Amino acid sequence: MSGQLSADIVVIGSGIIGSLAARRLAQQGASVLILEAGPRLERARVVAAFRNSPIKGNWMAPYPPSPWAPHPIYVPQDNGYLKQAGPYPYPAEYIRAVGGTTWHWAAQAWRLVPNDVRIKSLYGVGVDWPLSYEELDPWYQEAEEILGVAGADNTGSPRQHPFPMEPVAEPWSMRRFRERLAPAYPVVANTVARNSRGYDGRPACVGNNSCQPICPVNAQYLGINAVEAAEAAGAKVVPNAVVFRIEHDAKGRIAAVHYYAPDKSEHRVTGATFILAANGIESPKLLLLSASDKYPNGLANSSGMVGRHLMDHPSTSLTFYADEELWLGRGPQSPSSINTLRDGAFRSQHAPYRLDFTNISQVLNVTGDLIKEGVYGAEFEKQLRWRAARQVNVKNVLEVLPNPDNRITLSAEKDAMGIPKPEAHYAIDDYTRRAAEVSKADFARIAELMGGTGLRYSAEGQFANNQHITGTMSMGNDPASSVVDAFGRTHDHENLFVCSTGVMPTAATMNSTLTGVALALRTAEHILPAKNAHAATAHSSHEASLA
Amino acid sequence: MNASIHCLLLLGLLVAAPAHAADATDAALLQRGQYLATAGDCVACHTAPGGKPYAGGLTVPTPVGNIISTNITPSTNAGIGNYTEQQFRDALRRGIRADGARLYPAMPYTSYAQVTDDDVHALYTYFMHGVAPVDSKPAPTRLPFPFNLRLSMAAWNLLFLDGKPFTPDPAKGAAWNRGAYLVRGLAHCSTCHTPRNLLMAEQSSRELAGGAVGTWRAPNITSDVNSGIGGWSEQDLVDYLKLGHARGKAQAAGPMAEAVDHSLQYLEPADLQAIATYLKTVPAQHDPADTRAVGSWGAAFNGMADQRGTALPDDTAQWTGAQLYDAHCASCHQASGEGSFDGGLPPLFHNTATGRADTGNLVMVILEGIRWTNDSGVHMPGFAHALSDHQVASLANYLTLRYGNPVARITATQVASLRAGGAPSHLAALVRLAMVVVVVLILAILVLWRRRKRRRTSSGQA
Repeated sequence: MSGQLSADIVVIGSGIIGSLAARRLAQQGASVLILEAGPRLERARVVAAFRNSPIKGNWMAPYPPSPWAPHPIYVPQDNGYLKQAGPYPYPAEYIRAVGGTTWHWAAQAWRLVPNDVRIKSLYGVGVDWPLSYEELDPWYQEAEEILGVAGADNTGSPRQHPFPMEPVAEPWSMRRFRERLAPAYPVVANTVARNSRGYDGRPACVGNNSCQPICPVNAQYLGINAVEAAEAAGAKVVPNAVVFRIEHDAKGRIAAVHYYAPDKSEHRVTGATFILAANGIESPKLLLLSASDKYPNGLANSSGMVGRHLMDHPSTSLTFYADEELWLGRGPQSPSSINTLRDGAFRSQHAPYRLDFTNISQVLNVTGDLIKEGVYGAEFEKQLRWRAARQVNVKNVLEVLPNPDNRITLSAEKDAMGIPKPEAHYAIDDYTRRAAEVSKADFARIAELMGGTGLRYSAEGQFANNQHITGTMSMGNDPASSVVDAFGRTHDHENLFVCSTGVMPTAATMNSTLTGVALALRTAEHILPAKNAHAATAHSSHEASLA
Repeated sequence: MNASIHCLLLLGLLVAAPAHAADATDAALLQRGQYLATAGDCVACHTAPGGKPYAGGLTVPTPVGNIISTNITPSTNAGIGNYTEQQFRDALRRGIRADGARLYPAMPYTSYAQVTDDDVHALYTYFMHGVAPVDSKPAPTRLPFPFNLRLSMAAWNLLFLDGKPFTPDPAKGAAWNRGAYLVRGLAHCSTCHTPRNLLMAEQSSRELAGGAVGTWRAPNITSDVNSGIGGWSEQDLVDYLKLGHARGKAQAAGPMAEAVDHSLQYLEPADLQAIATYLKTVPAQHDPADTRAVGSWGAAFNGMADQRGTALPDDTAQWTGAQLYDAHCASCHQASGEGSFDGGLPPLFHNTATGRADTGNLVMVILEGIRWTNDSGVHMPGFAHALSDHQVASLANYLTLRYGNPVARITATQVASLRAGGAPSHLAALVRLAMVVVVVLILAILVLWRRRKRRRTSSGQA
């Protein structure tokens, strides 16, 4: 690409969040340019590659990194892109491609619970958000209607208007959990961006059980759907545009961004307003990379908080055999969960959590186990049948408190384009570890109610990462302790906004995508108000801007 | 509703059917009118996408140009609020508007001509009292010469309109007669399923032998075992009309999906049964190309084994039919084309979609998918945006070869033509040419006649 590009709005990152912000702004008549570091993928190729591959359990397999925009790969071995400074690893997975990481996700589209945004005031831990749940509600609704969210009402997240869709049909396994765990634990349908009926031209889920790595029928809303919607609204996408520097003028306004094409030719893109939407790791990396004489610590970083407060949702789990055939693998991968532990007075002592049941087919896991155990022949088939029918898993999804020492920095090591790699500094504190300990009693009780045998707890002190990259560019009212304001505008640069789960000041217990999208829509409204924006929204924006 | 309309209405009722005057707004009558309007699928044409029911504005493409449906709500300035029942009846059964102008037969009045007086009365009552008036007028229809002369339709009607309402056949049972009444009348099946002659009139001698609806083919639904529905049970037919698919036979797509979506699924079980009873007796029309029942071809076949272990070509244009099937189809229709256990995702063998020698509908369903509006249901996604003409042809040839009629072929040119909306119609040019020929002929006859007269005169003088 040659010649100088320019637009009213320049969005860096084409994931679900950046693309939906772009779509909304394009709908208001702005010229919008989306710069994406990775290549454009074809859905059919991803589906065919997955179906044609013997590697079914590695969800990154259909998304190999491009040489110019690498992303972390851990299987079969770590490609060394995301450096680990420790003490605890933060092995985030994400996809640098048009459409971003939601090419593969479980489509969990949860709202927070109202108290999640006030944990400092209520429980004396973490920080309060600069906005209330009530202010978020209409944005959640708008996001849910775009994504096509199906869900149950009794999950602890109140709402003013109904879900766009009824919950997706309950798989047999989840029904048995619900029946056998009642009344001790209410098991409810997850809130998901997955169609329970035809919605917005996309079909209903038919239960392929391959939500990750790819929904093969487009029943699940993906970032690429958001990209196509943004394009339909008039936005232009430039793939393979690796932004490596954000340029400011003498007054501190952003003047342009610079990107490398795969041949390392340099390009400059000017605009009036810039939105950084390159996820919670690549975005702070880019702000830090853009350090200048005027901003020696990087852009938007007068607080020193860029990259800090890195969070995720660590999980521990219990695997066991139920005393009846449940045959996980029919329907979506993650259909149901227990939501009663997402909030409570205990939050002053330990992290809240959600208890989530997998519905991923166990055939592959069990086959691997049996081969390792040396089982073969007729016994293999018998064991495979027995175990695959009964093996189940429950995990917790734990909150992590924001800690400035958990952070993304620039590594001394560089990628193929000569750009420093990101480096993660991470630890899991006692607040979270205590909750993991408490949840063991839940695991045990659940196993007991399911007639469980062969109980296998995840290794002591080992936490699985859930790829919910949060923090790193936290929002807040105080420019000394936060990176962006309540509308996602950087405190330091009037025309630079951040749309990302990275702006979430706390992680709560819920998958972060829907909150990220809701906040981004709210940011888009703040940049360029929609002519027909919902009344409640206009009201709250007005109040907030007066405050 | 204002007083003057009531007066008009009452006047109309008194003239037409005084016995019904007392129950003009009777709930049961309204309900029956609504049911009949549903059976007639009036809403399908008289509602624009996203528009208010019956307010018109839908563009109906025809071989003679686009016809824009009218507002048939009881609005007095934009709809039919001023119509008397007599005027309503004339529009419905004779194709004559209240102002005397002729309707185009895109309005299926040649079928509605069969509707009884009682049913017209119920329909009239419903449209006057059960439909919300909408005061906006759609754009008028503007057809090219000579079709812009609505009076030409009077001559057309003289030739092709059989104005007699349905008369039951006493030799047949009640169900058959009810079915015949619905099929030939309100359900206007022949509008699409009966082939048309050069002047776009239904060829009554070939009732339900199959016709064209834009880029879609309305298949033969006569009792022929191979070409039609002769091999279907009555229950198959009822299922199809109610659910939009008959297991192991066929599923409704394109305009038929619309008909099921808006109309047929709401018919009472007895009426659906009656339609099935009648259809099974429609004289067979056989197409020699159909060497076996169109819904009986093919068997389960797994073409995936050949693909496994072979890298996919970088250029998707080079992908084989099997590779395209794997990427786009197999996640629902399954690796062997067997569909889901309950038939909700249909098998591709034993399916008229892959069994016909005419492959147009197979291409159309791949391009457009199957969407219902009433349940926002995407019964099958369309692939027009995802597949090139060449890819659609490769995929469709794989489907007919493996699961359907193996001699059926699809070409990229055919796909391109259907994607573009089908071959252009030459009807207007033909009719204009015919008119020129007629004028030339008349002139020639006149010249000859005058010459002969002159000759006769001169010979008389001789």
